[in-house]
Amino acid sequence: MLEWYGATLLRYVAVAVGIGVLMWLTHRGLRRLGMRRESAIGLTLIMPWLLGFLIWNLYPIAASLFFSFTDYNILQPPRWVGIDNYRTMFTSDPSFWPSVQLTMTFALISVPLGLAGSVVAAILLNQGVRGVGLWRTLFYLPAVLPAFIVALLWRLLLLPTRSGLINGVTEPVWSLFSDTPPGWFLDADMVLWSFVIMSFWGIFGANTVIMLAGLKNIPRDLYDAASVDGAGTFSKFRYVTIPQLTPTLFYLLVMGVIGAVQVFDQPKFVELPAGSPNFLNVVVYTQAFAFSKMGYGAALAWFMFVVILLLTLAIFRSSSAWVYYEAEVRERA
Amino acid sequence: MTTRSDSAGPAVSPAARLLQSPAARHVTRYGLAYVLLGLGAAFALVPFIWMLSTSLKSIDQLFTFPPTWLPDPIVWRNYLDAWQALPFGIMVFNSLFVTALAMFGELSTASLVAYGFARFRFPFRNALFLLMLATMMLPWVVTLIPGFLIWRWLGLINTYDPLTVGALFAWGPFYIFLLRQFFLTVSREIEEAAIIDGANAMQVFWHVMLPLVKPVLLAVALLSFQGNWNNFRSALIFLYNPIERFTLPLGLQFFQATLTAGEAPRWHYMMAMSTLMALPILVLFFLAQRQFIEGIQLGGVKG
Repeated sequence: MLEWYGATLLRYVAVAVGIGVLMWLTHRGLRRLGMRRESAIGLTLIMPWLLGFLIWNLYPIAASLFFSFTDYNILQPPRWVGIDNYRTMFTSDPSFWPSVQLTMTFALISVPLGLAGSVVAAILLNQGVRGVGLWRTLFYLPAVLPAFIVALLWRLLLLPTRSGLINGVTEPVWSLFSDTPPGWFLDADMVLWSFVIMSFWGIFGANTVIMLAGLKNIPRDLYDAASVDGAGTFSKFRYVTIPQLTPTLFYLLVMGVIGAVQVFDQPKFVELPAGSPNFLNVVVYTQAFAFSKMGYGAALAWFMFVVILLLTLAIFRSSSAWVYYEAEVRERA
Repeated sequence: MTTRSDSAGPAVSPAARLLQSPAARHVTRYGLAYVLLGLGAAFALVPFIWMLSTSLKSIDQLFTFPPTWLPDPIVWRNYLDAWQALPFGIMVFNSLFVTALAMFGELSTASLVAYGFARFRFPFRNALFLLMLATMMLPWVVTLIPGFLIWRWLGLINTYDPLTVGALFAWGPFYIFLLRQFFLTVSREIEEAAIIDGANAMQVFWHVMLPLVKPVLLAVALLSFQGNWNNFRSALIFLYNPIERFTLPLGLQFFQATLTAGEAPRWHYMMAMSTLMALPILVLFFLAQRQFIEGIQLGGVKG
């Protein structure tokens, strides 16, 4: 055990020193080339990130695009197969489209639901109730738990028998419709909803806290001005709160969608029923590491990349229609 | 004139007066809000209580109907039994080791890079900064396979290097962003005074800038601790055997795979171990909740 630590520590220090030396050389080199002092220092300071970007982001993105056109099991060198992986993915892999559907519906339902819940909670907290700090702490608590413990905990809460807490408490409800309690994670039709409930619990507090900060940032005088103009509670909410909150909503929407499409830890801690599709990232992991199909895994990963890129672009594009930026309006005026 | 306005008048009964006290008015005005907030808090808390309760049950109390809240008897031994089921003691050290190195790497490089972006003009600065922000949206699977192959090529699979050394390349764009926003708020005069006194850029950074952004640095440290302590994904990809090499999240996954298989899943052990694993984070959160919450709030508001 200690030798494992020692070996890693040694390499860690070596890399740290290496980056330091490289930064020093960069600075000297740039100065020699006649760059201004300020620019040289700036570029030197961002070197660690720039290196990291090239080695751990840019090269891997390009390399996984290359691998996605190959058949590669790690042991033999990659063999070029053209668009075969993509053809398999789109046309003959029976689990692909169901996985896409599961992942996308999950994001489509859980993100708006989480945002709506946290808007309500944040507005309630912003009304002037006592003990805002305490409420905030209580709400935020689930977000502190690691995602995989959240998954374990909800598997227990949603146990498919009568002795599960949720099924036990809601027996008067479900017994009206059926003799057997809901199967939740073990019922292929309910997997999606189980994940939606679980993710709502996990994310809603963190969203609330961010939303509350957004609400507190709204200048009071806007409300005063609205009152002078005769606006009631609802109009103030509609014409002051919502527009002023859109930048926060936008941030949470972008981050929420990107996060929801990429769920991984939670499904890895839940055993899904036979015949149920899994989430896309789990599928990538399984193809690449359990089946050693690095090429196919890379193709799936690139599909993810394109999907997330398009989703993000779509949200950004739409933002000019609904996100209100103070500075922009002031500039136009 | 209605009776409502003369609350101090002699005709008003004591009960009515009580109803018109400031506290009562507060309750009538906000009553619904309190009820809703209470429901929300219950929703957030009940799973925690159930986790704790389950972790203290004996095996025959696990699957009762109706559900029991208070275990009887309370089986404290579950914690010891769960702890001894796998070499969790060693895994704690592994997790601490990985977390400490990764945190140090993230914090030191993120603050340097953030300082560079905040205070110096250089060619393509804005474009590079936008590029850095864009990497926040990069899905991790797209870099997963080549990243794995790089570590494999270096012969460092099944070591702690992928979980720690990578942090020296400023792998946390969100932290860079947060710190940069704060460096921007520091007035230039403070810096210039130091420069006139003959300090170079590194001295200004270390003696002037870092102390000034200490609160954010603490927030970033907490988020970074949380992220690395909870890092299951990298451990799953890079650590294989023996089990003594695992970090806690990977150990917990191994534990759940062996324990929940079969007729009677031993959830009391699972929950005992989950509680123990969550404990450091929960304690840290209670000690420094302001920094935690401000850290994530800043991302949202300044973003």
